[in-house]
Amino acid sequence: MRRRRRRQTGTAWLFLLPGLLLFVVFRLYPLLEGLRVSFTNARLGRATYQYVGLANYTRLADDTRFGMSLWNTAFYTVASTLPILAVPLGLALALNRGALRNVLRGVFFFPFTLSVVTVGLAWLWLLDPVVGPFNYYLRALGVPARSWLADPATAMWAIIGTTVWWVTGYYLVVYLAGLQDIPRELYEAAALDGACGWRTFWAITLPLLRPVLLFVVVTHVIGSFQIFGQVFVLTMGGPGDATRTVVQHLYETAFQNFFQFGAASAMAWVLFAIIMVFSVLQFRLLRGHTEY
Amino acid sequence: MRRSRVQTLVLTLALGALAVVWLAPIVWVIVTSLKVTADIVRLPPEWIPWPMTAEHYQEVLFSSSRTARIGRAFANSLVIALGTVSIVVVTAAMAAYPLARMRFAGRDVVFTLVIGSLMIPNAVVLVPQYVLVQRLGWLSTYQGLIVPEAAMTFAFGVFLLRQFFLTMPGDLEEAARIDGANAWQIFTRIVLPLSQPVLAALAIFAFRSAWNDFLWPLIAVNKPEMFPLPVALALLRSAYSSESYGPIMAGAALSALPLLVVFIVANQRIVEGVRVSGLKG
Repeated sequence: MRRRRRRQTGTAWLFLLPGLLLFVVFRLYPLLEGLRVSFTNARLGRATYQYVGLANYTRLADDTRFGMSLWNTAFYTVASTLPILAVPLGLALALNRGALRNVLRGVFFFPFTLSVVTVGLAWLWLLDPVVGPFNYYLRALGVPARSWLADPATAMWAIIGTTVWWVTGYYLVVYLAGLQDIPRELYEAAALDGACGWRTFWAITLPLLRPVLLFVVVTHVIGSFQIFGQVFVLTMGGPGDATRTVVQHLYETAFQNFFQFGAASAMAWVLFAIIMVFSVLQFRLLRGHTEY
Repeated sequence: MRRSRVQTLVLTLALGALAVVWLAPIVWVIVTSLKVTADIVRLPPEWIPWPMTAEHYQEVLFSSSRTARIGRAFANSLVIALGTVSIVVVTAAMAAYPLARMRFAGRDVVFTLVIGSLMIPNAVVLVPQYVLVQRLGWLSTYQGLIVPEAAMTFAFGVFLLRQFFLTMPGDLEEAARIDGANAWQIFTRIVLPLSQPVLAALAIFAFRSAWNDFLWPLIAVNKPEMFPLPVALALLRSAYSSESYGPIMAGAALSALPLLVVFIVANQRIVEGVRVSGLKG
């Protein structure tokens, strides 16, 4: 027995070897190396660097553009959460067990297969202030035309709308799966008791969907803090800094602005700390979910 | 929640209308890409591209001198996505198998590390990964895009496949072991063939994330002939935006093509993949 077990340990590690090599070199090492670099004044092309303690972090506190991008990212995250919760849920409820369920699910899911750049280009054209169809149809409805992406008051909302269109299909599938897991008998019992429509939604569907709703919120929040592509294509962070986000600021600090790797690494770890809080939440939640 | 027939009909019609609106942006991209330049900016918007032309496709695929040719970028993206898929599927399957089916020293540590790494946002490892790839001399190369891309998806693959391997009945493996098969033979001849659906789901997932990734190639490539599609498209935008949306939309439509095909062929599988990945981690 003992020998067999040892032999299996060797075999197991041989199986693990290629994947772990990839994982350690390109995932684990960069993560920890980033933490180390965040305490230095390293730049690309500079042969030597010094440890500067927490200077990169304290400087972030005074960096108004970083503060601005953090605020924008938080605003985006909070403002997009309700539509991301509600739109796919509404669709899922309407689609569930209905005719054409699979076809319509496919239609709503399709935008999610597109790259963020493709999505951004499509909406850039749709929202064109002069010749874009979006403004044309709004005008036909009596709403005045606007430069949605060039106006600081609406630019972030345009990005939110684009993102909702892009990812709704993904969450729709998640919700539909959650709805399938709710036992049908519950609705039949409720119908016998004379409950229907909204009452069953509030009393049965929503409470039983709670783990799924939490999953959606947390996944969305974690993803939102890393928003980059939509902003890069649609607004470049503008007008002014109205849609500048953390990852964009990090990208520019590291790769456009004198390659300040130390400062960018500090930003990365601040972002990581924020995301970690939500990730821990998610893991707790999922453990709860499997037990349920 | 039983609905009357009229209610069902109204609901279906409303959903159908919404679905049409939902697809309108994609239709608009395709319609624009087929119009002659003079028609593109005409108002009211025309949804039928007539007269129809392929000139924008021709231009972005073959004759654009201003930016990386989309044709080349398309090929680059294919190489990168397929390379990523093969590495992810092979390494994740090999790693998930012992984690699910063997007892060995260190198993829990490895599993916790790999699953914990799902929390690492890609943006956080960006700078050190760049330095690493630069030191390896891999900037603007296929391996410089494929290997980090594979590392990003590896942990998810391990998670997905391990879940599946855990649910497999052990009888077949046991029988093979008694017949004298070794671990590798059991893995390749019994476990993998039984896992085809979940391997396909992982392959599609990895293809999608590699095909669509933008941030990493944006910094890891600085030679136009090595740009993958998303980067080439983003640059196409600045090259053409003042003149015509035609070539930009032709590029956008081309970039959607491979996943559209995969999506039509394997709709159910993609949905299953999302379902498993979504609800169970």
